[in-house]
Amino acid sequence: MSVQPRPDGIAGSSLAGPFPVGAYAEKLRDELRKRARVQLFGEVWNFRASKAKVYFELRDGDGAVPCSMWRNEFERLGFTTGSFADGASVVAAGGPGYYPGSRTSSPSFSFDVTGLRIAGEGDLLAQMEALRRALGAAGLFEPQKALARPELPRCIGVVTGEGGKARDDVLAGLRRRGWAGRLVWAFAPVQDRHAAPRITQALQDLAAIEEVEVVIVARGGGSLADLFAFCDETLCRTVALLRVPVIASVGHHTDRTLIDDVAAVSCSTPTHAAESAVPCHPIEAREALARCAAALEAHGRRAVVGRARHLAQLSRAPAQAIERHRLALHQRLRELRASARRRVDDDRERVQRRALALSRKATAAGGPEDRTRRTALESLASALAAHDPERTVARGYAIVDDGAGNVVTSAAQALELGDVRLFFGDGDVGAHIEDTKDIKNPEEGA
Amino acid sequence: MSTQTYEAATGRLEAIIKRLDSGEAGLRETLDLCQEGRVLVEFCAGELDAVGRGLEELRLDELVARLEQRPGGAATVPDAAAPPS
Repeated sequence: MSVQPRPDGIAGSSLAGPFPVGAYAEKLRDELRKRARVQLFGEVWNFRASKAKVYFELRDGDGAVPCSMWRNEFERLGFTTGSFADGASVVAAGGPGYYPGSRTSSPSFSFDVTGLRIAGEGDLLAQMEALRRALGAAGLFEPQKALARPELPRCIGVVTGEGGKARDDVLAGLRRRGWAGRLVWAFAPVQDRHAAPRITQALQDLAAIEEVEVVIVARGGGSLADLFAFCDETLCRTVALLRVPVIASVGHHTDRTLIDDVAAVSCSTPTHAAESAVPCHPIEAREALARCAAALEAHGRRAVVGRARHLAQLSRAPAQAIERHRLALHQRLRELRASARRRVDDDRERVQRRALALSRKATAAGGPEDRTRRTALESLASALAAHDPERTVARGYAIVDDGAGNVVTSAAQALELGDVRLFFGDGDVGAHIEDTKDIKNPEEGA
Repeated sequence: MSTQTYEAATGRLEAIIKRLDSGEAGLRETLDLCQEGRVLVEFCAGELDAVGRGLEELRLDELVARLEQRPGGAATVPDAAAPPS
């Protein structure tokens, strides 16, 4: 124990001392230990464990007492994690204790718990559930969810603690989203009894600014007691009826405060809330927009160029049609010629076949009958030749002609004519009739 | 166009592209849709530019104080880029 010289007291003070603080701390511990051991009941908040002891606060609506218990004694009770959670109502037996501290360690006061029992659901949780039911019955969970949330807000309001990590998380979320617009910070305390009115006021102020299109309410993790400001009825009613959508991110994902119920969107982390505030990813949207612009240009170009090509095609159509018809005509002409040639060849072949057949028939028609006819003909020719005057003349006779082609058949006729022509076998000569002494009248001779 | 919103513009753009892709639009309708689409693309590009110029951080309390000092006290965020009125 250190021994220090006792300094002089405060001039004019009637109080005893000054005493060494260590001695006073020990005296205080001893005095507290004299107090009666009792049982307290209240709600557990801020439970935490160290290597040797567990610590928690016992609270009710009027006050609170810090409590501690040896860890081995606490674990021997076998509470499950869920049963001994924030808000759980318990009965604790024990008495006040005081650790006097030292030059190198801090003093602390706690109710040293020697016995513990779970009493039931906590009042605060019960209150919260009752308020949740009341808000739900009043239809206050829906208005925010019915608000249209902008895909790409230009201006975002954020309600958060000024020094909290949530602020950095919101910025990180917006950065990750690629959003770099206008951000209006509304800093407010996010725990203690002043928090709810200040947050409410900040929300109303943000909503009063026309450009603010969406509001983020962000707070990092903490005990349910720390987050209880976000279960305030006035705050929740204000959020529900706000003109701008509110995106809430209060506590960890396991926590569920009433602002999560009334807000348009409830997110597990401030980063997620920031991303939800900007549903449209600006970088992706820019790429999509470029694709849209390209599609529009392509459609516009196709609409004109395509139709121009079609028109040009149509203008060429008549010439093409004529050409097609010309080619078709040529083709038919060739086919016609080929067909005619084939027909002529066929006919020729047929005629030749018939001629051959006729020739064969003619040949067949000749034969014995023909020879008979020929023999008869020759016989007739011989008979005819026998009466030929030429043959008579050839034997020495002569034919008398009057010179005009008329045969003179009587001497009288010859005497009358005087000049006649005599035809012999080798030719004809002129003759003159002079001697007519013995001319007899043919009629007299008869 | 002043009441146009980004989501309405993108929604209309999608509808225009869908209509054009269908191939059912005639020449006049196609050209009109292309013209309307170009205006919407410009509007959307402007909106994207507005959230891509760089993060501008304002404090609500300072902002409210500035607004209260302004004549008329219009509850609008003063635009740093706008010329002084």
